[in-house]
Amino acid sequence: MKRRSTFALTAVGAIAALLISACSSSGSSSASGGSSSSGSSASTTGFNAGITSVVNPSTKTGGTLTYDVRGTPDSFDPGNTYYAWVLDFDHLFAQPLFGYKSCPGSCGLQIVPDLATDMGTTSDNGLTWTFHIQSGVKFENGTVVTAQDVKYAIERTYDRSVLANGPTYYQAILTDPTYPGPYKDRAKNLMGLTAIQTPNATTLVFHLQAPFPDLPDVLAFPSSAPVLPSADTGTNYQLHPLSTGPYKFKSYTLNKQLVMVPNTEWNAADDPNAKQLASQIIVNLNVNQADLDNRLIAGDADIDAYGAGVGPAAQAKILSNPTLKADADNPINGFARFVYISTKVAPLNNLHCREAVEYAANKTTMQTAWGGPIAGGQIASTIMPPNIVGYKSFDYYTALSKPNGNVTAAKAQLAACGQPNGFSTAMAYRSDNPQETAEATALQASLSAVGIKLTLKGFPSGPYYTNFAGDPAYVHSHDIGLAGGGWGADWPDGYGFLDELLNGNAIASTGNTNISEINDPVINKLFTQSNTATGAARTAIWSQIDQQAMKDAVILPSVYQKVLLYRNPAVTNAYVQAYYGMYNYAVMGVNS
Amino acid sequence: MIYFIIRRLVLTVFLLILVSLITFAIFFLVPRLAGQTTYQLAAQYVGRNPIPSEIKAVEVKLGLNAPLYLQYGRYLKGIVAGTHYNNGTDVSYCPFPCFGYSFRNDQPVWPQLISDAPVTLSIAVGAAVLWVIGGVSIGVLSALRRGTFFDRFSMGVALAGVSLPVFFTGLIALELFSYKWSLFPNVHYVGITTNPLLWARNLILPWITLAFLYAALYARLTRAGMLETMGEDYIRTARAKGLPERQVVVKHGLRAALTPIVTIFGLDLGLLLGGAILTETTFSMPGLGQFTILAIQNQDLPEIEGVVMIASFFIVIANMIVDILYAVVDPRVRF
Amino acid sequence: MAPLLELRDLRIHFQTDDGLVRAVDGISFSLERGRTLGIVGESGSGKSVTSMGIMGLHAGTKARISGEILLDGENLVAASAARVRELRGSKMAMIFQDPLSAMHPYYTVGNQIIEAYRIHNDVSKKVARKHAIDMLGRVGIPQPAVRVDDYPHQFSGGMRQRAMIAMSLSCDPELLIADEPTTALDVTVQAQILDLISDLQSEFGSAVIVITHDLGVVAELADDILVMYAGRAAEYGSAPDIFNRPGHPYTWGLLGSMPRLDRDRTARLIPIPGTPPSLIMVPSGCPFHPRCAYTGLTHGRCDTEVPPLREVAALGHEAACHLTAEDRVRLWAALSAGDIPAEAREISETDTEAAAAPAGSAESDQPVTHDGVEA
Repeated sequence: MKRRSTFALTAVGAIAALLISACSSSGSSSASGGSSSSGSSASTTGFNAGITSVVNPSTKTGGTLTYDVRGTPDSFDPGNTYYAWVLDFDHLFAQPLFGYKSCPGSCGLQIVPDLATDMGTTSDNGLTWTFHIQSGVKFENGTVVTAQDVKYAIERTYDRSVLANGPTYYQAILTDPTYPGPYKDRAKNLMGLTAIQTPNATTLVFHLQAPFPDLPDVLAFPSSAPVLPSADTGTNYQLHPLSTGPYKFKSYTLNKQLVMVPNTEWNAADDPNAKQLASQIIVNLNVNQADLDNRLIAGDADIDAYGAGVGPAAQAKILSNPTLKADADNPINGFARFVYISTKVAPLNNLHCREAVEYAANKTTMQTAWGGPIAGGQIASTIMPPNIVGYKSFDYYTALSKPNGNVTAAKAQLAACGQPNGFSTAMAYRSDNPQETAEATALQASLSAVGIKLTLKGFPSGPYYTNFAGDPAYVHSHDIGLAGGGWGADWPDGYGFLDELLNGNAIASTGNTNISEINDPVINKLFTQSNTATGAARTAIWSQIDQQAMKDAVILPSVYQKVLLYRNPAVTNAYVQAYYGMYNYAVMGVNS
Repeated sequence: MIYFIIRRLVLTVFLLILVSLITFAIFFLVPRLAGQTTYQLAAQYVGRNPIPSEIKAVEVKLGLNAPLYLQYGRYLKGIVAGTHYNNGTDVSYCPFPCFGYSFRNDQPVWPQLISDAPVTLSIAVGAAVLWVIGGVSIGVLSALRRGTFFDRFSMGVALAGVSLPVFFTGLIALELFSYKWSLFPNVHYVGITTNPLLWARNLILPWITLAFLYAALYARLTRAGMLETMGEDYIRTARAKGLPERQVVVKHGLRAALTPIVTIFGLDLGLLLGGAILTETTFSMPGLGQFTILAIQNQDLPEIEGVVMIASFFIVIANMIVDILYAVVDPRVRF
Repeated sequence: MAPLLELRDLRIHFQTDDGLVRAVDGISFSLERGRTLGIVGESGSGKSVTSMGIMGLHAGTKARISGEILLDGENLVAASAARVRELRGSKMAMIFQDPLSAMHPYYTVGNQIIEAYRIHNDVSKKVARKHAIDMLGRVGIPQPAVRVDDYPHQFSGGMRQRAMIAMSLSCDPELLIADEPTTALDVTVQAQILDLISDLQSEFGSAVIVITHDLGVVAELADDILVMYAGRAAEYGSAPDIFNRPGHPYTWGLLGSMPRLDRDRTARLIPIPGTPPSLIMVPSGCPFHPRCAYTGLTHGRCDTEVPPLREVAALGHEAACHLTAEDRVRLWAALSAGDIPAEAREISETDTEAAAAPAGSAESDQPVTHDGVEA
């Protein structure tokens, strides 16, 4: 995932992350479904305890859990959101077909059935998938959930003029991509999506355009959580979605505060990945970050739901105070920060000029720009971060061995591309993102050491991907050879991470994610192969793509992002959910 | 007097229309100078990986594809007569005054303004009471004790108050009184109808922060006004009549010195009612100020227009009240 | 019967950054009930400071007051501020030069009169209002019941001054001080106001002090006249005395510089040369000596010895001057006949001609000394 820097995917902390997780990944091989296990019996308190174990495990109910958030959600409608923290949070009131197993560490990267009974069966050479849902699951108003409700939930995301924010995988993967959605001409189109059939109240049959082994990952988005057609109020549904999770909306003042209370129709046995502990959950929206950090430390709020960690002032406070530090976790959040290198803007259309940039960059100053080793991240030499399934470590441009830049090698590459004295180009970055701004400045300084002159061009985040860096026409006409960016995968395997960044057919005229505009037949072929490969063979493909793209020098990796999260010691069952890179909001309670 | 008020109200309406027109123009024309088309604007409300037909659909939904004058006309009509809005499953009616639907979350703007206004009102009015009482009394005392330590000290503090920005004073106040010493823990807005005591307690820090700034200004103003007034002939006459000094200072001196203060107060309060942006952001209070920031960051035209209109309304009304007050207070300025 | 007001050697000094300002430097006089004293002098002579001193309006300023102010035998200088405030407005009242600025613009005239009355009399608002209307009627304002609710700016100049007089007389004071009461008014209105003051004085039986630089006003109203110069008394006597037999060169100057109906219109006015002295650096000896044409007649005493205010038998009143009585009679006789005495002639001619023709006479810079030239 990318854009708006509001995403974080995560992976596990240090040690477990660097080893390829034995836990399975994508594909149709079924992992153990059913009950989640709480983490191992490693120490349950202390700095980074939440990465590998459950802090304060408890089944105690009662109390009020308070979340504070900066900004506002894009929407609390499960079918209309793409923000990382909201995807995590939605599990409190929406139960999708699949989900990530609620457990700390790499255990949490597993896709497991949630509303579904098992991982589903394929037929027709992977073009058809059949799923069954549990019977007896109810909405908050007592209505029993049927397969039609799941189909409707997916159908309604097709009408972008009503629900514009969510992912668009369904249209890309399933047959019947031109289905207009159930809102226009409702009599005709309600339940009219031919790509999904519901032979009975508990069965769903999906028809795909082409085999797609990661379908369960797509169905792990909250957009597959059931929606009762008669209760769908369109754009107003966000004000009170009918809950299938442990909590339901009591009151929601837009942009201000959400109050939730336990959903009496929820059954713990049907939903092992969530818990119903606190007797009230309050979410305060639009809290300014400095205030939020202080409220956390003072104990007036329990968790910062945004999940991007505390600000610099609070970081200093927490890290220097042993008591506070014991309540903090510093996970890799699965977000990679890097700089796109254009393959179309001269002279970077020459491979050697791009390689010069790779060598010349001073990774240490870029890491400092992001916040240093704890709050910024780990210096990166690959595109995929260590927690994505399929990650392998390699270093083609001495990023790890010479993190302050390799001037000699850079100059050699410049000579090879015919620009021995360097060249000039522009770099785009998001000017309202202070770290990205600092990174651009740092890069400008390190590249100037070899004669590459960067003109920095700042843009606001809002339209950055729609109008500027993500608009190839603008990029070409404004000579933007480099562009700051970041990426978090939609699901934690190589496909989710790399496809939109590097696939030649992902280049779009606006909202472009393949900003380097790389169209390498080798890479494209590997992507196609991944659709039919399975198991270890499929997993291996990801790193091959990663390595090929780095050989093409289309991306200058900066850091694997880390965040400093703080948890109120009164919170129970606190641990970092690997995929989201933030605490698992579906299981927490509070010691009142 | 009645005719004056009626004339002014009519002028207010015209002014608000003009303000809305200018805001509308700026919203569309300025990005155009930077090369942004409405297509690109619509793309911001589409989520990720949009395909062109989706963006066009949003453009149509937001009415961005119509010519500007038509969009503006629809907007005005909406305010006066209400509009219909397609929610997906049905069409909802947004009655007068309808300030449109937010681009970002498809919710009507007016109810949001209404629910935010009390917060801003609470902050503004509470602070106003404090700063008038505090600022004026310190100004009077300073004027009467001109040159003494009290005068120099209070004017020095006033200089600090005027120079320190709200977010600085506010953050210091929070750090000391809320986080460190927990005198005011968990500062967040609570409605007055929900819990009046908590409402007041949580507002004390924002009140003091905002009042510090304005009280300083008013102290200086009052002091200058008093010094001028106390040198007037009628003060001498008042003393010659044998009036006690307190009556001379308050009834004769202060009354005259207050005239410009009253007018400035009206203008200050009017401006503040449109959104005490810095204070609200510092204390995370969900008022019109925060609403403004969100609206601008999201490039959400209906929300921007809505908050601009409300702020302008307050300012214009405040101006009118100030003009009337001036005539009431100073009998020489009557019609 | 003891005089209502008696000043004994009153001195009012102000310590400023530039030095000690001797605004009033030894003034003594007495005033009986029912009589009017006119205090005349140029700007800066100390007349207003004296009157403010009597009223106790220097309290709270940096004024240093010494001497005695006896109001009905009570020494106001030694009295407490509260006591003096009690007397202000009730026993002694003041009216000021510009009634528009002297009255508060935001309160009605009635309100201001009522305020003055109720401070000293414990009555209800209704009673006080009736009294205010009554007073307005007495000072000759038509329709007083209507005008009582008008603001000062709604009155014409003369009416306004009458209203101020009403305000100060509302408590029936025994002493009324009028500080330049007609300076801001038209000539025709002036006469009315002066008549009014005079009528009210007979009606109320109060003592009146009129402070002015306008001798015409004084001639109209005053029983006695005090001529002040540089904070000191120059001459003090009854009005007929002062006008008919003035005994001080300054007074001659004042009288001579007035336009008169009984003189030839083309005859030149004789101004007093020079300007009033700074009250910080008062000239030694007689403060008037730098401007006096007759210093030569005193054999140098004028600039060394301060002339005391003492009775001059031939004149029947007091003057502070070193000239002999004979000299004074002679000089005045010449002046009042329209002739310019020899001593003055050179000075005045030189001065006026020097002003007109700078290249003029050779005598222009010489100090005048003569030996007994008598005209």
